[in-house]
Amino acid sequence: MIEMKNLDFRYANSNTGALNNFSLTVDEGEIVLLCGESGCGKTTVTRLINGLIPHFYEGELNGRVTVGGVDAVKAELYETARIVGSVFQNPRSQFFCVDTTSEIAFACENMGLPEDTIKMRIREAARDMEAESLLGRSIFKLSGGEKQKIACASVAAAHPEVFVLDEPTSNLDMEAIESLRRTILLWKSLGKTVVIAEHRLHWLRDVCDRVIYMSGGGIGIDLPMSKFAAMPPEKLQKLGLRPLSLDKLKNETPPAISGDTLELRNFCFSYDGKKQALDIKSLVLPRNGIIAVIGSNGAGKSTFSKCLCGLEKKFGGKVLIDGTACGRRALLKKSYMVMQDVNHQLFCESVEDEVRLGMSEDNEKDVQGILNQLDLLPYVDRHPVSLSGGQKQRVAIASALLADKEILVFDEPTSGLDYRHMKETAALFKSLLGKRTLFVITHDPELILSCCTHALHMENGGIREFYPLDDNGGRRLIDYFINNDKEEKNIEKTV
Amino acid sequence: MSQGVMQSDVGNHGLVLDPRTKLLLLITMAVFVLGGTGTAALWFLTPSLCILPLVLLLSAKKFISAVLYLTVYLATYSVFHFVGPKTTGVPNFLLLGTAGIITRFMPSVMMGIYVVSTTTVSEFTAAMQRMRVSERLVIPMSVMFRFFPTVADEFSSINAAMRMRGVSFAGKNAGKMLEYRLVPLLTCSSKIGEELSAAALTRGLGGDIRRTNVCEIGFRVLDYAMILVCIVPFIMLILRWFEVSVF
Amino acid sequence: MKNEKLKGKDLINVGIYTAIYAVITFAIAMLGYIPIFMPLLCVIGPIIAGIPFMLFLTKVKKFGMILIMSILMGILMLLTGMGYYSLIIGIVSGLLAELVYKSGKYKSSSKAVWTSGVFSIWIWGNYIPLFTNIEGYFSTRQDYGQEYIDALTRLMPTWMCPTLLAAAIISGIIGGLVGKAILKKHFIKAGIA
Repeated sequence: MIEMKNLDFRYANSNTGALNNFSLTVDEGEIVLLCGESGCGKTTVTRLINGLIPHFYEGELNGRVTVGGVDAVKAELYETARIVGSVFQNPRSQFFCVDTTSEIAFACENMGLPEDTIKMRIREAARDMEAESLLGRSIFKLSGGEKQKIACASVAAAHPEVFVLDEPTSNLDMEAIESLRRTILLWKSLGKTVVIAEHRLHWLRDVCDRVIYMSGGGIGIDLPMSKFAAMPPEKLQKLGLRPLSLDKLKNETPPAISGDTLELRNFCFSYDGKKQALDIKSLVLPRNGIIAVIGSNGAGKSTFSKCLCGLEKKFGGKVLIDGTACGRRALLKKSYMVMQDVNHQLFCESVEDEVRLGMSEDNEKDVQGILNQLDLLPYVDRHPVSLSGGQKQRVAIASALLADKEILVFDEPTSGLDYRHMKETAALFKSLLGKRTLFVITHDPELILSCCTHALHMENGGIREFYPLDDNGGRRLIDYFINNDKEEKNIEKTV
Repeated sequence: MSQGVMQSDVGNHGLVLDPRTKLLLLITMAVFVLGGTGTAALWFLTPSLCILPLVLLLSAKKFISAVLYLTVYLATYSVFHFVGPKTTGVPNFLLLGTAGIITRFMPSVMMGIYVVSTTTVSEFTAAMQRMRVSERLVIPMSVMFRFFPTVADEFSSINAAMRMRGVSFAGKNAGKMLEYRLVPLLTCSSKIGEELSAAALTRGLGGDIRRTNVCEIGFRVLDYAMILVCIVPFIMLILRWFEVSVF
Repeated sequence: MKNEKLKGKDLINVGIYTAIYAVITFAIAMLGYIPIFMPLLCVIGPIIAGIPFMLFLTKVKKFGMILIMSILMGILMLLTGMGYYSLIIGIVSGLLAELVYKSGKYKSSSKAVWTSGVFSIWIWGNYIPLFTNIEGYFSTRQDYGQEYIDALTRLMPTWMCPTLLAAAIISGIIGGLVGKAILKKHFIKAGIA
């Protein structure tokens, strides 16, 4: 179905992601997992299959790519698009229309199919993706998982032979990942060919037939999934891969932290005056801990973090630190959120200016030290936007530290990160342990178990559980992430 | 306002009108109310056309806009009648000038608010395609409408980031404030734009085939009635050009 | 380079930058709800919107993109009830702007500044209704017709019409210069221009 022969590729403006003499043949009906560290070239492979290279991303290319009999290098993008359907990482940026029905119709409309056929296909795709209740809605009001469902439906409605997914779960919670897993199993049962480039591997164990591990732009390992899954977890770690199953995760028992506390009072908020988006009367948290905030989409995690940072104007709750009550305005001064898209908070023309913006003057003496501690010294003159994702994150942390922020909130800090980078982030958090209070909003169990001291589980705007991540707590957390899967599987069995 | 342009939830349309009828309504308003063409002879025209947006806004349950429109318009009108003649000098000129601009622009702008709040992007693009407007205009236009909420989203995230850094309106330098907002906005938008392009192209956008459009639009009785309402003043205008007195 | 046809990527770029340009223009237009500030819009608007416009120009490599942006702004004005004037003006000025930028082979940055000036003419179209048919509008009510006309002509005297046009062009050029500076300071270093 897919044949790539002796491919050499180099991006016009970047050194990472290049391919060297890469060859790969994928048979019809095969479900292939592409894995490897960031920059190993797996995204490049997906882009060669769907034709984005060389037609959209420019660079130096030698070699041949044939997909379903079409020469993807020579054919126009819209010709390749009839055979290959693509799903991307970011659910926010991959839709073209503003309502769900038009979005599902979009690919079919581009193919010029008759209206009746398209309508039939919309219904069929919505049914297959369990997205019928989402039809006719504004895409801007959907959650990330729902958007990803619509993206899959839109691609599936065009009936391509090959599906290419590039890190599709980076921004998804466990429930949405499970739903995506069912979608891929459906495509498998229809005999479609699927290629998935992915960092999070645990959901693909019983989905993929074949695993290709890439490194340095070539193939390192090419094994059937059964053999690949038999490899010991330590070997995977050495390859820089995330674990294949969650239940073998190990909890790194966090060090004990001092007994100081932080008390949240009257953390209640509603957007429309009726439904409570956040409803926490009182909660005592350890100060200087690293607290993982977990829960499904819509549980109130982001409302919680906005209130904690003093960003909601009508919020009336307080945080007691050292016995002093901090209201909204004080919180705005004391807390800082590192956003999922860090680009939102980079304003200046150099790293040096950036970390000084909003800094209190007394901290001038600490600038060098903090830049050094965060490995930013070599980059002081660079434009912050030109840095890598992890470096940007560190710039944001540096500016928060220099602005004397006591509470740091991280929104999905490891989405789309490979094992090594995830571990780096975890190490960074650990280095802040005992100095600041950290809240980490995340769907990434591996990150939580690598660095967090407590877990705060939210549902429906309230607290479901709050527990320290000792041995017991670690078990409980793993159970939460696995059972989320199981509940869904049970539903599937009864259908 | 940019956030609400063409993002109406499916279902709240008020009187169902074809987007093409709505365009005709807008043009009619622009010619006769905004442009003031022919109003000297057709004295009843402006007031009657000014009622149209009110009726349409009410039909779409946009009560706040409707009430606002009615109050401001009537207030301006009475200022014109009762206060205007009693003032002189600068107040008089400001008052009459302001009132003049409001009475001219408001009805048309209100019609605009009705149109953008009751039409969905798909309906509008479908209408453009039926009018045989080039794809080279229709595609960027759909992207533009789809991007409005994104820009608004990005903007509010950037604002939040600025407030956490303590560099919001408190700053003294207006130029810096603008730079801090626009630079991340453009950085993020161009990145999202690139991803959007990639996604759209892999779904076959830009092919050589004429695109279909599944959005159902079409003229109904109400459309014909509205078209008639719009055409009448134009006919009267033409008749006047030929010096034919209607009365 | 051949005079290539516009492709999907180009058309999407036009849409994205038009959206940013329009949001900025609308945000500034909120000032215009106080009618005596209206003339100011055609100064502030092009200066601020010049920044995204200059970034947009770095993506323009083929004929038609500037013109399409201009037409889209016109259509938006029509849709929001500002009349069809800026649509008509915008087609002409957009075409002129296109030719100016083309004369610099779509890469000259000094030509880009001029392009920004010429492009900004579209905003002038919004003022045209203020100068058309002032007498006609309320002439049926002769009792205060004259006072009103006097008032309006003093607020918007006829010489304002060409002045606003010049203001739009000059502000566009200033906006272009500001945009050029920001490009150099940020976007080129950041690798997105």
